[in-house]
Amino acid sequence: MPELVDIRPLLAVLASLLCAGAVFTVRQSARWRAFWSLAAAGIKFALVWSMLPGALAGRVYVYQFGELLPGVAFGFRVDALGLFFALVSSTLWIVTTVYALAYMRGSHSLPRFFGFFALCISTTVGIAFAENLLTLFVFYELLTVCTYPLIMHNEDLAARRAGRKYLIYTLSGGGLILAGMIVLYFTTGTLSLAETGILEEAIGRSWLLAIFLLLIAGFGVKAALMPLHAWLPAAMVAPTPVSALLHAVAVVKAGVFGILRTIYNVFGIDLLRDLGYADWLAVLAGTVIVIASVNALRQKHIKARLAWSTISQLSYIVLAAALLTPLAALAAIIHIANQAFSKITMFFVAGAIERGTGKKRVDELAGVGRQMPWTMAAFTVASLSFMGVPLFAGFVTKWYLSLGALQAGEGIYVGVMVISGLLNASYWLPMIYLAFFRPPQTHGQDASPKPARVSPMMVVPILICAAYVILLGAGASAPAMPFSLAEAAVRFAFELKVPLE
Amino acid sequence: MSEWPHWLPLLAVLPLLGGVLTPLLFRRRPVIPCFWAVAVALVTAAVAVMLLLRLIDSGDFSYAVGGWLPQYGIELRFDQIGAFALPASLLVMLALVFSRHYVARTVDPEKISYYYALVLINLGGLNGFLVTGDLFNLFVFMEIFSVSAYALVAMARQPIAALAALKYLLLGALSSLLVLFSVGVVFAMTGTLNIEDAAVLLEGSSSMPAGLALAGLATGFAVKAALFPVHFWLPDAHAAAPAPVSAILSALVVKAGVAGLLRTLELFGGGESLYLQPLLSLMLWLGALGTLGGALMALVQRDIKLMLAYSTIANIGYIFIGLGLATTSAVGGAMVHAVNHAVMKSALFLAAGAMIHQTGLRNIDDLRGLGRRMPATAFGMAFTLVALSGVPPMAGFVGKWQIALGALEAGQPLPVAVLVLAGLVVLAFGVRMINALYFRPPARVSTVSSVEAPVSMWLPVLILAVASLALGLAGSSMLEFVAPAVQAIYGTPP
Repeated sequence: MPELVDIRPLLAVLASLLCAGAVFTVRQSARWRAFWSLAAAGIKFALVWSMLPGALAGRVYVYQFGELLPGVAFGFRVDALGLFFALVSSTLWIVTTVYALAYMRGSHSLPRFFGFFALCISTTVGIAFAENLLTLFVFYELLTVCTYPLIMHNEDLAARRAGRKYLIYTLSGGGLILAGMIVLYFTTGTLSLAETGILEEAIGRSWLLAIFLLLIAGFGVKAALMPLHAWLPAAMVAPTPVSALLHAVAVVKAGVFGILRTIYNVFGIDLLRDLGYADWLAVLAGTVIVIASVNALRQKHIKARLAWSTISQLSYIVLAAALLTPLAALAAIIHIANQAFSKITMFFVAGAIERGTGKKRVDELAGVGRQMPWTMAAFTVASLSFMGVPLFAGFVTKWYLSLGALQAGEGIYVGVMVISGLLNASYWLPMIYLAFFRPPQTHGQDASPKPARVSPMMVVPILICAAYVILLGAGASAPAMPFSLAEAAVRFAFELKVPLE
Repeated sequence: MSEWPHWLPLLAVLPLLGGVLTPLLFRRRPVIPCFWAVAVALVTAAVAVMLLLRLIDSGDFSYAVGGWLPQYGIELRFDQIGAFALPASLLVMLALVFSRHYVARTVDPEKISYYYALVLINLGGLNGFLVTGDLFNLFVFMEIFSVSAYALVAMARQPIAALAALKYLLLGALSSLLVLFSVGVVFAMTGTLNIEDAAVLLEGSSSMPAGLALAGLATGFAVKAALFPVHFWLPDAHAAAPAPVSAILSALVVKAGVAGLLRTLELFGGGESLYLQPLLSLMLWLGALGTLGGALMALVQRDIKLMLAYSTIANIGYIFIGLGLATTSAVGGAMVHAVNHAVMKSALFLAAGAMIHQTGLRNIDDLRGLGRRMPATAFGMAFTLVALSGVPPMAGFVGKWQIALGALEAGQPLPVAVLVLAGLVVLAFGVRMINALYFRPPARVSTVSSVEAPVSMWLPVLILAVASLALGLAGSSMLEFVAPAVQAIYGTPP
């Protein structure tokens, strides 16, 4: 694979870093704040997408700095998996910025909010492009630090509780990763993520098990892998764009991405197959999918239901990765995008409903479909995707995951997919039914409520995301779509020479 | 220019002379001594740069005082441990800049010139201690920096300061006594006071007196370094002292204890010597206990300076874990952490001092809401707290990583757990402080009406905060720099 030195990975990280700097300096000027946020988002979007053709042609862009520690460089390396993650996050940053500008209007401490918002994306792209585990860890920890002020934005008791819980969980996870990384470096002398496995059987089972447990548990915290998930529903108190950022774009995906890197680049498929640890991870993920869905069913708050659904959906990715077959791996990678776009649509809708009508609970949704038809239509699209209806993004995941499970000879996970689809239907459909087919609660006031007034800057991002959900589902295998990039990543991880199908 | 041989004595002579002259020249004027002291510290730092250049260029070198050759005359030696004089001089300079507005309120006006004199004498003692190659002068310089430190602690106007200084003095005197006694024993055994010479003559000696001398030196320097369980003088002294003095004490004076211990190891045959293994393993375990205990104690403090003082004990624990592990990575990491911690802790003490100066409050809960009112100081403090907890790539991370790696190399996984755990606890109190500054409404009227500290106070804080990021990025080259010293003291790695 030809490696090219290219400064674009660095620029992509710097774009939002500089944006943060600019936002902190302009302080009170809302117009300049919006300008810098959007400009940086656009530049980053262009930079990341401009690397797509090269990556599809099999090129790998690298950019290295000096050594951070003896033997461990600080550097970026854009491979297919990393670029896929970066594409998703930089695309979503634009829509989230537009949405956040409208949603946060009139709130306090806006320079801090938009500054740290940009920093989060900067670190996310850093995670995606990290050349070795230490670089990844640097950005991973910085992401934790940078999301904290966002979760605490409201500065009230609930926010402080959520923030504390978030920090305790994620920083403990970071500690585990650090310990795992030290053991990994001690046993192998490298932390590179450029290979299909740097560990060998020869270093001893107990070390291997320690590394696996430390890294998976460490990354599992941000991936909200049960029983390490409790921070995520609690973090729902944050403003909606933050929830979107946490649950779709940055934080949870960083955790999942770390797990994928651990499986594909640290251990490698062959070694993990021999060791058999991944089977246990698959069992755990399969259980989480079902339990989290059942929990989602019991939630009364819209955002809480979304949070539990996120926990369940993230385990799709972990399960698919743990199956260790090419088609399942494909499902794991493309679900990063599918879940991101579907879930961010839902969060945007939840935020728009809150701003437009003040409603936060599931049972208050009656009649909202008439007030906000476009918004609720987008919500319907996203929930159809989660249910696994063909032509929507979620179906593609389920299809390949099931095929991958059969490839691995684990037919039971096809059953899990079916059950999960049914559970998804049972908590999304009632919401849609309420919104569209039930008359609004009137409380003795005028019978027909006025259409809710929501800024078009909130509605347009919602529609764009919903359109993407359909595009990812219906046009997945069109050329130049990220899908082919995911395929390239799978071919690399499994060292396949031929196309997948 | 860096080849001129007489730079080395100037490193200690300049600040000592400058210190003695301060009250003589400027007793009546409260403002000028500050500029004078800053200038002296700056020139000293420049001298240290010269020496450092020569060290990088051509390795260790020594200087025979008065032209009398070593073994007979007094020898000064500049090696990687001596190079700590550069960060020491720079930190003292920043603390002096900070002092300009700070001491006006904390120290009696007629004592101000003595304050600056003592800070400079303290620096001279430290620098001399770091570069001396002679056991007796080691003791003399130790007394110089210790006695000036007692006086500086007592200079704060609070009633508790005198008591804290007395406690510090008693423990310090005990440690000086132990060191002096041991130096005497070594002299009686070998007939020389030169460290290198004595090391050769002592080689292989495992006699009773040698053991006694070793125990005396190790205990004496451990007290100076505030290693658990002889740390108890530290929290009160560091919390009661004026803020710039707390910064100097926490950043530099306790590190002199660490340097003294390294010299002791050198004297008794280095880390390879079987004879030293019990001491090393004791250092490792006491260090681990100190790390955890210090971090936990920091977590429960309500007074901001006490919190920082306990955190110093935890960090000294880190350093001793590294020294005790005796592998190349761990010892190198410990030495680098000594510098990095010095920078971070002085930033924190100065920031805390600025907040106390502006609000008159020192309880963490009372300082709520200062993030908006003192943006520069609060940012410096928050940033450095994150660095201190070892979030990569900042300064706290290098030492943690290297020491943990060294622990695995030595086949001892337990210190890894200690380091990771302590890092989390440090973050916990860091977050508590950050929450108070930024995410909680003010609890006191005086915080609402307070404004940002003068530039001379917040600028040093910000400079040190930036340094705590830069040093983290320079971790690899710093490790490379200290490697020869590790080699010299600990021998070839196992």
